[in-house]
Amino acid sequence: MTRTLLVLLLGSLGVACGSGRQSAPLDGELKLNAEQRQGQVLFHKFCHQCHPHGEAGLGPAINTNPAPLVAVRLQVRAGLGAMPAFPDSLIPDRDLQQLLAFVDAQREQSK
Amino acid sequence: MNWRQTLLFGLVSALAPACFALSGSEGGGQILTPASRTMNHGDVALPRGFAIDLISNHLTFPTSVTFDDQGDVYVTESGYSYGEVFGVPRLLRLREGEAPEVIASGDNGPWTGVTFYGGAFYVAEGGVKSGGKILRIERDGKITALVEGLPSFGDHQTNGPAIGKDGFIYFSQGTATNAAVVGPDNAEFGWLKRHPEFHDVPCRDLALTGANFDSDNPLTADEHDRTSTGPYSAFGHAAAPGQIIAGRVPCNGAVMRVPVRGGPVELVAWGFRNPFGLAFAPDGALYATDNGYDDRGSRAVFGAADVLWRVQPGAWYGWPDFSESRPIYEDAIWKDHYRVPGKATPPRLLAQPPSRPPEPSALFPVHCSADGLDFSRSTEFGYVGQAFVALFGDQSPTVGKTLEPVGFKVVRVDVKSGVMTDFAVNRSKKAGPASKIRGGGLERPVAVRFDPSGRSLYVVDFGVVTVSDRETKPRPGTGTVWRISRPEGS
Repeated sequence: MTRTLLVLLLGSLGVACGSGRQSAPLDGELKLNAEQRQGQVLFHKFCHQCHPHGEAGLGPAINTNPAPLVAVRLQVRAGLGAMPAFPDSLIPDRDLQQLLAFVDAQREQSK
Repeated sequence: MNWRQTLLFGLVSALAPACFALSGSEGGGQILTPASRTMNHGDVALPRGFAIDLISNHLTFPTSVTFDDQGDVYVTESGYSYGEVFGVPRLLRLREGEAPEVIASGDNGPWTGVTFYGGAFYVAEGGVKSGGKILRIERDGKITALVEGLPSFGDHQTNGPAIGKDGFIYFSQGTATNAAVVGPDNAEFGWLKRHPEFHDVPCRDLALTGANFDSDNPLTADEHDRTSTGPYSAFGHAAAPGQIIAGRVPCNGAVMRVPVRGGPVELVAWGFRNPFGLAFAPDGALYATDNGYDDRGSRAVFGAADVLWRVQPGAWYGWPDFSESRPIYEDAIWKDHYRVPGKATPPRLLAQPPSRPPEPSALFPVHCSADGLDFSRSTEFGYVGQAFVALFGDQSPTVGKTLEPVGFKVVRVDVKSGVMTDFAVNRSKKAGPASKIRGGGLERPVAVRFDPSGRSLYVVDFGVVTVSDRETKPRPGTGTVWRISRPEGS
């Protein structure tokens, strides 16, 4: 049991802190609907700096993080660890919805 | 979902935010024994229909490329690199099947950029020894300084140039420091002991809040010696509340210009940090890449992006109190967004900002070092109006920690939306320079320029630079020039 937990813990750390490599010349360009395209613009304004194309950079990869979008939303609003909070005054709810739709599109392509 | 899957899911979700605290730095230059550089164009991934080939290799710290009116290719070798490696700055002509021909050489590197205009070459001389200059170089190698005495002894040098349709040479001057305060990090760069009185100079008068910064004093033998330093002041000189710092031109963190025939230097815009790349867009607007703050020194800043700016004449772009047009000090809206984990938020330095900084055209990944840029004008190449930008790659851990290598590629940017897309990257499971992933592709792209036809994009690759807590070590003879084009029929 202990060994299983240790393996799970190390495996989880590997997934959580993995590179999440995603790049247009390697994977093709993302196919986005209108909402996701709006989200892509917002992603480049608020997220891309630390998570380039959803990959790890200054921060961890988003593409390989299996947390549900509701948890991602919570983290964006509250901040966690080294990540600062982005309150409604910076990213209104409607914009956050579009942004999360784009994050979801990135994750779908990286599967 | 069984209990193991549930637990795995929960653990991954919980651990992801903790990655930064749990992981060490994994920058692209953090390599103990880099592989010897081998070239394999097949290791570079490009959009469908494009091809890449090697134009020249075994160059030492190449920084820029240009073309004369005959279509010949010229490249500058810097003659200086971070890591305090000094060599000979050179302008070389590259011809297929021939050894590079030396057109001109100097003794005050780095030569950071070159452009050809009206029968002569114009070079930005970084001048860490004797100050920055803008040089005119004739085809026979004769060198004339059009501008001298630029404040270029510090962290960032004289960059550019780009020549406008108005007959002016536009060039840029980087800042002396990371965030306006001279500190022990500048001694590690190497210049503080050479020029202990050097510091940043603003372009216009500024009033200070009086914030000062205590640090070790690397200029004395006593390892317990401490000192206090104010912004825009020499190391060990404190500032007072309300103190006015006199502005002058030439200055640091600015884009300036001088007539092609020579003349007085004029200020174009200021408040940049290290505006490295300059290029005119097809609509005639000037754009600049700007390297964002680092997590280092007496006033460290966390999470500051590199920026693409559309340069508006007379505008102030925010350094040293803003990043990406957002305040880096404690603010009602942005809070402590740029606070290094475990440290205090950077205090505000300016009693009043000169103006509100403009909005960026695009934000690049933190620490990627967005450097040279050019715009596509060719329908045959495609992406007309988009900016192509060379990302040199992180210099972690000296600039701050990264969880994975950042940069080491060429991206294209839609300057209207700020959306950027990878254009040339190394094929591998992880991002990084060829030396780290043990491939034969890109190392550290530092400049890009379309040839006169617009059908080929030349990529200048600085070569291998390894970085550790102790030293930055550039490897002479590992620089290259690549060419990316779209073969007919593709």
